[in-house]
Amino acid sequence: MNRSIFLTILTLSFLLTALTGCGPERLDDYSDVRFELTDQNGESVIFPDDFRGAPLVVGFIYTHCPDICSFITANVGKVYEELDNPGDTRFALVTFDPERDTPEVLKKYADAFDMDREPFSFLTGDPETIQAFMERVSLRSQESFSRDLDDGERVYFLNHSDKILLIDQNSRLVFDYGGSMTPINIILEDLKKL
Amino acid sequence: MKRTPFTFFASLFAALLLPALFLISGCEAEQPRTDAEMIDGDGIHIEGTWARPASEGRMSAAYFLITNFEEEPDTLLSVESDVARLVEIHESFEREEGMMGMREIPQLQIPAQSTVRLEQGGLHIMLIQVTRTLADGDTFELTLNFAGHGEKTIEIPVRL
Repeated sequence: MNRSIFLTILTLSFLLTALTGCGPERLDDYSDVRFELTDQNGESVIFPDDFRGAPLVVGFIYTHCPDICSFITANVGKVYEELDNPGDTRFALVTFDPERDTPEVLKKYADAFDMDREPFSFLTGDPETIQAFMERVSLRSQESFSRDLDDGERVYFLNHSDKILLIDQNSRLVFDYGGSMTPINIILEDLKKL
Repeated sequence: MKRTPFTFFASLFAALLLPALFLISGCEAEQPRTDAEMIDGDGIHIEGTWARPASEGRMSAAYFLITNFEEEPDTLLSVESDVARLVEIHESFEREEGMMGMREIPQLQIPAQSTVRLEQGGLHIMLIQVTRTLADGDTFELTLNFAGHGEKTIEIPVRL
């Protein structure tokens, strides 16, 4: 082999190794899980398989939450709006209140935030699947208090983790943010590193 | 006891600084978030109103600043609106590491010469089961009932 070609290959190998080492560490790997969810249009979505191949920004919400979850939802929307080059990056909001957050409810919620469109997915599922999913992503929720309305309907509220995750093209968790508290530009910068 | 420079300064510290520290920490725990900086005016002034979009039957939250220009405190006793089945004063707070909770604030004190901020992640007006979809660009009315200044009706724009 020509010596200059050998040196070029050697240099490229070093560079590739160095670049790989410079990327952010992965906090978790979801490639070994499979959760069958349903989006706001009633379509089946498999997490994480259906998102593999592109970065995913995913927040966790319930639609009876007026303050923190609307903040999380708006933040996910703002990340997309402010990305210079979103490419094939996907954005998802997953409910941890599947009994009340049906696909129809999520569709209306998404529409209110002008997010019932690509590349946003609002996801729910059967309660067992959602519970397993939330345990896997370390999302905690518990009933806090309730109100009885004049027609006897009981409305309950939840204490919950405040979380947005950034998942890479290979279904690995890159960052775990405080969902409502993290400045958008930090998520934007982290997305650029993928 | 013989008075030395050390004992003198130690006594001074104990006499002045420690009570001040207790006072400061106590105030932080009980007072609403307020701004000391005031502009000229009188009475109760509301500004920076907005609310989150919501689909019919779901929840929204309204945010604004309440400034009390008077030399006496006032209290926000209740809030009413026909845009929701229940309207309450609430506060979001961090219960523990990364875990968010919400609690009702039965009455909200507005200290004299101060501004109380109702903002995301903190104090807010909770709109439980809105009676119509609130979309970006819509407006609705809230009536605030103050102990001292009576009723004040304000317009709330809905935005993302």
